[in-house]
Amino acid sequence: MNQVIYNFAVWLDGFEWSTAMHESYYMYNWVESTHVLTLMVSLGVLFLIDLRMLGIAFPNVPSTQIARRLNLPMWIGFGVAITTGLLLFYAIPVRNSQSLWFRVKLVLLVCAGINAYLLHKRMNESGSSWENDAVAPKQIRTSAAVSLGLWTTIVICGRFIAYDWFDCELGQSAFISFVAGCVDGQTQF
Amino acid sequence: MPTSILGPYTRTIIAAALVVVTIVFCLTIRIPVHTSIEPLFDWMTASWFGYIGTTWGAAFAVVEAFHLVGLAFIGGTVVASDGRLLGLILTDQPPRAIIDKTYRIFNWALILTLSTGIFMACGVAGKIYFLKVFWYKMLTLCAGMLFEYGIRRPLLEKELEDINPWVLKLTAVASVMVWFTVAALGRWIGYSG
Amino acid sequence: MNEENKTEAKLDDIQIAAIVSSSVFVVWFVVYWFFQIQAVRELFEFVRVNNF
Repeated sequence: MNQVIYNFAVWLDGFEWSTAMHESYYMYNWVESTHVLTLMVSLGVLFLIDLRMLGIAFPNVPSTQIARRLNLPMWIGFGVAITTGLLLFYAIPVRNSQSLWFRVKLVLLVCAGINAYLLHKRMNESGSSWENDAVAPKQIRTSAAVSLGLWTTIVICGRFIAYDWFDCELGQSAFISFVAGCVDGQTQF
Repeated sequence: MPTSILGPYTRTIIAAALVVVTIVFCLTIRIPVHTSIEPLFDWMTASWFGYIGTTWGAAFAVVEAFHLVGLAFIGGTVVASDGRLLGLILTDQPPRAIIDKTYRIFNWALILTLSTGIFMACGVAGKIYFLKVFWYKMLTLCAGMLFEYGIRRPLLEKELEDINPWVLKLTAVASVMVWFTVAALGRWIGYSG
Repeated sequence: MNEENKTEAKLDDIQIAAIVSSSVFVVWFVVYWFFQIQAVRELFEFVRVNNF
């Protein structure tokens, strides 16, 4: 599996645009800045929805309305974040695919997606009986708290990607090498 | 109500004067001002925060991540409250309910961002002192806080019906712009030096 | 209330201060992002120079 991911990353790395983006000081930083700045829209709005479910923000505004009305800016933010995230991966594919933190971040993103799906499912199933309550039912509160924790951890992992603590060329333990996806005899990138 | 020494347009005069002073300050040589605060940056590097920040990379990175979380909260409150003022989102809710509730979250987010920012600044004090982009960020941050607490907040404390809708919209646009610029300048510190 | 007082009620001190400061921020923002957008120009220049 790791060999397949490595081959894919090497193939991506062969594209001229990948090199161009990596080498371009302004363009790479611009895309990364946009990726980080969209946090302010996507995560910021998501956190507000979570805080509403926990009864900390907007207790007077119906919770399902907050969730529905803020969905659009949140998804616009996530759309830009995903696009710029893919571009960042494309610019440095081999290192990113072998980054332990990048892999943990991807797993957590999947968990956050499942949690968001469950939260919406619970919201739809529970009807509108509680939407005017200051605090949401326990299951929805739990999902909101999990969402806050997961996304904070995702931001931490995203930040850790920049550090080389577990980079393959530094010689890692067998376990870390496997989890990070280091491949025997690989070319240095 | 007591009349200020500057007359009925005190706030306008102070705002305009600050703008003029800032522009003049940016366009003129200010090396003496700059060098006079260098000892502060030396002290920051030597402080406990500076020691932890320079020697413990993981701690610095975690604090940096919480800095970003604080920034996300600021962004969320700005999008919600200024988006409502611009009539873009939550239009079926009274603006007062949105503005007042985002106010408190914004304050806490700003405290989180400032405190983590001070820690980070201590860790890289020797670098940021020489970075132009850091000083532009500080300038924009101070301007943003003065704008938020000296202009936007007092303006929104009035009855919204008494405020010219175009003034409300212009203030909302400026608020979004200033906080996103502060964040962008902050990100650029990481690439400089 | 006469006409002059009505005008005063429409644009008082805080509103004029808001107009002044907000306009400055908008101009500052436009100038700043103008230079940021130069990044895209720089990428295309890089690609052209390197004959990609």
